Amino acid sequence: MAPSQGPSKSALKTSLPSAYAAVNAEQPQPDLNTYLSPSQEEQEKYLQGRPKATPHHLGIALQHAHQIQAQKDAEEMILDRTVELLAIPADSSADPAAPSTEDIQAFKSALVPFRPTDYDNYITERNYEDLCGYGLCPRENRKAVANAKGGQGQGQTFHFKYGAKGSGPGGRGRSMDIVSREKLEKWCSDECAERALFIRVQLAEEPVWERRADDMSVLNILLLEEARARREKQPQPQPQSQGESSSSAAVVAGMKDLKIQDPQRSRELAMERGDNAPATRDGRVDVTIKEKEHGPESSAAAPRMRPEDAMGGSIEGYVPQEQRDKRSSEQHPEDEGDLLDQI
Amino acid sequence: MDGDMHRGGGDEADKEMTRLWRTWRTVYEMLSDRGYEVSDEELQISLNDFRNKYADPMGYPERQKMKIQARPTEEMKLKYTALPSKLQPNPEPDCGTIYVDFCVDSSGVGTKQVRAFNHIVDESNFHTGIFITQTPISPSAVRLLSGVPGRICEHFQEQDLLVNITRHELVPKHVLLSPEEKARLLQRYRLKESQLPRMQVSDPVARYLGLRRGQVVKIIRKSETAGRYASYRWVI
Repeated sequence: MAPSQGPSKSALKTSLPSAYAAVNAEQPQPDLNTYLSPSQEEQEKYLQGRPKATPHHLGIALQHAHQIQAQKDAEEMILDRTVELLAIPADSSADPAAPSTEDIQAFKSALVPFRPTDYDNYITERNYEDLCGYGLCPRENRKAVANAKGGQGQGQTFHFKYGAKGSGPGGRGRSMDIVSREKLEKWCSDECAERALFIRVQLAEEPVWERRADDMSVLNILLLEEARARREKQPQPQPQSQGESSSSAAVVAGMKDLKIQDPQRSRELAMERGDNAPATRDGRVDVTIKEKEHGPESSAAAPRMRPEDAMGGSIEGYVPQEQRDKRSSEQHPEDEGDLLDQI
Repeated sequence: MDGDMHRGGGDEADKEMTRLWRTWRTVYEMLSDRGYEVSDEELQISLNDFRNKYADPMGYPERQKMKIQARPTEEMKLKYTALPSKLQPNPEPDCGTIYVDFCVDSSGVGTKQVRAFNHIVDESNFHTGIFITQTPISPSAVRLLSGVPGRICEHFQEQDLLVNITRHELVPKHVLLSPEEKARLLQRYRLKESQLPRMQVSDPVARYLGLRRGQVVKIIRKSETAGRYASYRWVI
C-alpha cells in the first residue's frame, strides 16, 4: 500500500491544523494524529468496498472528513468557551471599566474563535443568567418591565405615550417601546453596551475552521478602555503635520506624491474592503495567475472590405429577400423568362 | 371537560393549568405512539384528576412534580434492534427508558438548566430525555442538549405540544419500519436506501416520533383511487 500513502498525504495538506494550533496555543494539542490518519486496515477496507476508488479518492474523502471534524470540534470549543466565560468575572464587585488582568486575559483569549453570532449567543446566555451582556461586568442587566410596573423608573426613558387621555388599555393612554425590550435589557448600562459592542465589531465573520493561523486581526482584541487609551496617546504628532499641510507649497508637494497605484494605500483600501489577497496565502488550492502572452504583432487588425460585403452580405447565413432577387437576376437574367413561359 | 373547581388562582391559573394538561396528554400520546409502556389511565387523565395531582394550593401547576419515566415495549425494542451482523451476532436494542422533564423556569432557559437536565439524564442512566420548556431555549443550550454522548436529548416547547399534530386529518399515518422490514423493502424494490425519498429529522412528525437518521418510515395516505397509498421516507 506504499503508493496509496503518497497522494492521500498530499491531499491532506490543509491549513486547518495550523489554524487550530494558534487557537489552542495554551491548551495541550488534541491528539490530532489519531483521527488525522486512519489505520492501514481502514484504508484498505475503504478501497476494497469500492472497486473503482483509487487512493486519490481516499485522500479527498479524508480531507472532507477532517474538515467536518474540525468544524464540529470548533463548534464544541466555542460552546465550552461560552459556558466557561459565564463564570467571569469571579469577583462580584469587579469594575467593568477596570477589570482585573486575569479576567481580561481569559476573556480575550476565549473570544478569539468567536464569530459575531456566537458572541450574540453568549450575550443571550449571560442575560438568561441575569447578568449584564458585557463579559467583564458582574452587575445584573436592567429590567425595563420591573421598572415600568413600578411607575417612574429608568425603563420609562425608552417608552412613550400617545393618544387621548383615557384611551388605550387601563385608560393610561397608548404606549409604545422605542427600543425593543430585549435590546434594552441586554446591558446594565449604556457604557457596558458600548463596551460589549466594541468587542463585537472586532470579531471576525469567518468561522475559525476557515481562518488562517497568521490572521492577526482577530488575535488581539482590544477592550474599549484600551482602545481609548491608545487613541489618546496617538494624537500628538497630528497638529504638527496639519500645520505643515496648510501651506500651499505642501499641498502642491502632496499632489505630486499622489499616485494611482500606491502600494501602501491600496493595501489600506483592500483592508477596508475586507479583501486581503487570499491568492497569495497558502490555501487549499495553489492558485497562480498566468497572463496569456501576446507579442506586438498579434494585435487585431482593423476590418477590411470584402467583395461579398458590397451588398450588405448575409445575416448569419440568411440573405434578405431584396438582395437575393438582385443577386439572382444578376446571375441568371434568363431564368425568369423561362419560368413565365411554363406557367 | 371544563374545570368546575376554582381554588383561588383565578382565571389565569385555570388557563395555565388547562394548557399544561393538554400538553401533558400530548406527551403521553407521544410516548405511546413511540412505543413506550403507557397505561390507559395515564393516557386519558381528566383535567380534574390532573389538577388534583399537580396543582399547588394557588391553583397554579407545579412543574417540579411533573416528571415522567417510561420503558419501551417489546415491540419497540424489536424495531430498534439492528440486524445481526458478523461483528455483532446479537445486537442490543438501541432504546431504553425515557425521561420527560418539565422546566420550572418561565423565562430565559439557558445552558444552566440544560446542564442540570443533562446531568439527571446521565446520572440516572436514561437512554432518552425530553426537556419541555415554556419558552424557547438559547442557541448554545440547544447545542449543549444535542451534545450528550451516547444519549438522546430532545427539546419541545409546551406550546408545540398543545395539540397532537399527528391526530390532524391532514397528517398521514407514519409507521416506523424495523431494520428487517427496511431490508425487505429495499430488496423488494431493489433500492439502495439513498434512493428512497427523504424526510428531515427536524420534520415535526419526525420530532414527534423521535426518529433518528437512517430510519425508514412508511407513510400511509388515503387515496381516492386506490383506497390506501403507502410511500416511504428515509430520515436524514
